[in-house]
Amino acid sequence: MTGAAISRSLGRIGLLVHIAAKHLLMRRRQTLVAVSGVAVGVGFFLAVSALMVGSQADFVKTLIDTAPHIIISDERRSPPPQPGVAAYGSGAVELHGYKVRSEVRGIKDWQAILREVNDISGAIGSPSLSGAVTLRVGGREEGLAVVGIDPSIESKVSTISDKLRVGRLVDLERVQGGVIIGEDQAQRLALGMGDIVAATSARGGTRNLKIVGLFKRGQMQLGAGTGYMLLREAQSLLGRPFIINRIGVKLTDPYAAQDVAAQLERRHAYKAESWQERSADFLGLLLTRNVIMYTVVSAILLVASFGIYTAVSNSVANKRRDIAILRSIGFSQGDLQLVFVLEGMVLAVIGVVLGWGLGYVLMEILGGLEFPISGDVQRIPLDRSSRQYLIAAGASLAAGIVAAWLPARKTAMVDPVDILRGAV
Amino acid sequence: MTDPVLVARQLGRSLPGEPPVTLVTEVELAIEPGKFTAIVGPSGCGKSSLLYLLGLIDRPTTGQLLLDGRDVTPLSGDERARIRLERFGFVFQFHFLLPEFNALENVMLPIRRLGRLSLEQAEARARDLLGQMGLADKVLKSPDKLSGGERQRVAIARALANDPVLVLGDEPTGNLDSVNSARVVELFRQLAHEQGRAVVCVTHDLAIADLADIRVSMLDGRVSEVRQQANS
Repeated sequence: MTGAAISRSLGRIGLLVHIAAKHLLMRRRQTLVAVSGVAVGVGFFLAVSALMVGSQADFVKTLIDTAPHIIISDERRSPPPQPGVAAYGSGAVELHGYKVRSEVRGIKDWQAILREVNDISGAIGSPSLSGAVTLRVGGREEGLAVVGIDPSIESKVSTISDKLRVGRLVDLERVQGGVIIGEDQAQRLALGMGDIVAATSARGGTRNLKIVGLFKRGQMQLGAGTGYMLLREAQSLLGRPFIINRIGVKLTDPYAAQDVAAQLERRHAYKAESWQERSADFLGLLLTRNVIMYTVVSAILLVASFGIYTAVSNSVANKRRDIAILRSIGFSQGDLQLVFVLEGMVLAVIGVVLGWGLGYVLMEILGGLEFPISGDVQRIPLDRSSRQYLIAAGASLAAGIVAAWLPARKTAMVDPVDILRGAV
Repeated sequence: MTDPVLVARQLGRSLPGEPPVTLVTEVELAIEPGKFTAIVGPSGCGKSSLLYLLGLIDRPTTGQLLLDGRDVTPLSGDERARIRLERFGFVFQFHFLLPEFNALENVMLPIRRLGRLSLEQAEARARDLLGQMGLADKVLKSPDKLSGGERQRVAIARALANDPVLVLGDEPTGNLDSVNSARVVELFRQLAHEQGRAVVCVTHDLAIADLADIRVSMLDGRVSEVRQQANS
């Protein structure tokens, strides 16, 4: 298009918008109703989706952060192929019911796996050993799932240091036989900071452990009976020196976990579980939740566009004479349809802008609410990204255009001759 | 004699039905520039129907309409709208101004739609036209603040906005008193004689018809007589 042609078509649109705006200004009440319908729709869309997306993001973040993104354990998903099968293929005969030599559990060659993990850019692997011990205080006994870690590495991989009520993770290295257990368990056993407790493992070793930290209550991932120790000391307590049975991996991009886990598992045969796999049930729930949310908020926006439909429909019905006059002057049918579609767009645009304001205010109110949960003041997680504003605007504009276009088509049915002669 | 602007050949228009209703039939007519043509006849004779056919607002069911020698009957709605915009100007019995727009904006509508002039030029032209109609001090008035005669003159200014070759009037004086009526007729005569436009007017007022250069009489959808009158 040449410059003149562009300015001419801009002039045409400007003129048609001018006519549309005049129509809307003449029918203020209807305009107000249609605009406020869209504004309320957009406002509540923003508030609801900010709540839903925000809480979902918060929930997923919790899922991702509480445990390492990938956990490599000493389990296999299927038994390793027997050497005989490897050597003779289909010639081998499968036997059932034979006794197997008890294997030493643990990840073999874990240093190589760890090195490989650390070679992935930004990834950190933290080796650990977990096992069961029995705590004995006075006459009472209680089981403890002990996890041996390297505090400086583990604190980079998981968020357990945030979950301490008292003490620090590095204290494990300073105190001989230091252990961190849950607040609940400590209370049950009447233990406090600095107290000594005897721990016995299944292999017979008994040691005295000293409480150097306590975890907060209500931590789903930590469980009630989990305790953290130095890796070295856990290995010796559990009687499994130099052995680890878990590598926790943290990635820079948590969403790459599934691919990286599959790759690691293919190479080393050990089960490598990504956070997505661990939380498949939750993620499935979130999907359902999203479907519900978008159904509801789309319905809000759809209902909001009914106001536009009514306004434009009435406008077309009331402006039949003007339509005929403009046709006689030389406006085309397309021009007149566009006038009424533009009326809908103007209503939608004003409604969207007001709705943005309303949504912002609603979010401010929601964001200002404080809830005391287990001693902490918590706020509702909200997603305030501009993406929500754009989705709301796009959906409302699209709905508004369709709602205006349906009645605007009726302008084609206006026969100028009838109206100009009849002078209705 | 100059070439006619518009030529009707066996032009006819009927409404579908059993039997079809004939509005206009077998019309042979040439509309010449610089001439004031009046179409007269009893009510229901089809004179207005003929005018809407000539003005490309309605479509003929039979025959041809030639604009500058070109057959315009097969053109699309958009092409016909373009011709109305560029070359025709309409004046109706009722002023038919848009109520939301003031006099100036009403006259600017066709100019802005054509888009050949800038907004400033369009406004200057509209003011000039309203000035010629003696309405220089009323340009910003809305139609409901104007008298019937003033409104009709605004409507004429709007009809002239894009400098049309053909001006069509459908009982343009039908709602006016005799003073305003005479003024409008004088304007139409000037448009033809001084500005060289083709002017076609449907009227039932025989006094107006007497002032026309060409008088077309209709009866039962047919042109019964075309008479040249010495009025130039």
